[in-house]
Amino acid sequence: MTTTQLTSKRYPVPDLSHAIEFCYQQGWTDGLPVVPPTEGAVRAMLDAAGLEPGQELCFITNRQVAVTAEKVAVNAVMAGCLPEHMPVVVAAVEGLGDPKWGYHGPAASTGGAAVLMIVNGPIAARLGFNSGDNLFGPGWRSNATTGRAVRLVMRNVIGTLPGALDRGTVAHPGKYSYVIAENEVESPWTPLHVQRGFKAEESTVTVMSAEGPHQFYNQLSSTAEGVLTSLCDDMQHHASTNGQPQYVVVLAGEHMRTIAAAGWSKADIQEFVFEHTQNSVAHLKRVQRLAGAITPADETTMRPLVPSAEDVLVVAAGGRAGAFSCYIPGWAGGKKSSQSVTKLIRERRA
Amino acid sequence: MAGFEILDPTVEPRKQPLTYVPRPDSLKGKRVGLVENTKFNSDKLLVKIGDILKSEYGAADYTMWRKHNSSVPAHQEILDEARRGVDCVVAGIGD
Repeated sequence: MTTTQLTSKRYPVPDLSHAIEFCYQQGWTDGLPVVPPTEGAVRAMLDAAGLEPGQELCFITNRQVAVTAEKVAVNAVMAGCLPEHMPVVVAAVEGLGDPKWGYHGPAASTGGAAVLMIVNGPIAARLGFNSGDNLFGPGWRSNATTGRAVRLVMRNVIGTLPGALDRGTVAHPGKYSYVIAENEVESPWTPLHVQRGFKAEESTVTVMSAEGPHQFYNQLSSTAEGVLTSLCDDMQHHASTNGQPQYVVVLAGEHMRTIAAAGWSKADIQEFVFEHTQNSVAHLKRVQRLAGAITPADETTMRPLVPSAEDVLVVAAGGRAGAFSCYIPGWAGGKKSSQSVTKLIRERRA
Repeated sequence: MAGFEILDPTVEPRKQPLTYVPRPDSLKGKRVGLVENTKFNSDKLLVKIGDILKSEYGAADYTMWRKHNSSVPAHQEILDEARRGVDCVVAGIGD
């Protein structure tokens, strides 16, 4: 157990309801009530991750802010996390500090991206992360609180305040919390974290700056091509004209089983989606999504949705019943702006 | 429930000194750098500005650089070339 002094400023409060209102008054919440962060609760968070309070988890260069374990723990308590959630929050915060994620753009942009977190590995089932029905909906503490904790860290520690340094024009509800797990139990496919170089028995969180989920429907087809053709039709309309560097495709139960029954791997899906979501430059100019006069060559010049098939991240998750799945566009700006990163969840550090 | 203490979840950003280079009294004969941020029309806007700085303010010439994208600072190559090759810089946004 850490005995190092906590350095956060302390405020006396007479009781629970005053504590909650005090947090509102200070501008420390996301609009929902928070759990008052007491020293005991904060220490339990730190102990669960084996972290010293002053340990720096990441440094956000453009804000000149060092994000310490103590501040992450305080915000995790406020978000309603249990101590065992702390390692997940820590890994996600490390992801935000990765230069590949590129904090400033996705955090501040009018594009309104949220932090999509995809949890893989044994920790997902152990902590009850939802990977099934109502995938993006409410009702699961792990999904609701870990993403909320990350957003509170962005707000309270890094200063990403809506209307000030967070200028999302419309943004989306994923900015409260945007956390799913991959359904590794029922999925026939290689889990996302194994595709990205981790061992199956390791736990990870993938963070991606992302728009909201776009649902698509196909109850007509019993073939992989049929289902994925509907998906690609939707994705082709999205067209990545804002420069989205990556997309996530989330395949839920029925679609997953249909596609897997045909023997398709994730790589096959990625390749199919890459090939079937391209638009002609002429079309994008006609619909005013690219600038300039249409030339004869534009009719046959195809513009891919993403730079490569690997930039379509395929995840098996969602309810067992229903002919729905979804895709999630990344945040705009190309790969030099922000890429998804996968971080190891270390459940206890020395 | 008895009174208790809660911990502050916020931090103060590290203070960093920020010093501006003195503004030139005149642009006459000065070499101007234009930093284009990749937003649509930002290049056209900056070229117009560069032309005006030459024709109306007597700037010697201008050079334009393109950032990797609008959400990141100008990269090192731009900074190095600007340091070596121009006297002042205009950075713009094309929204």
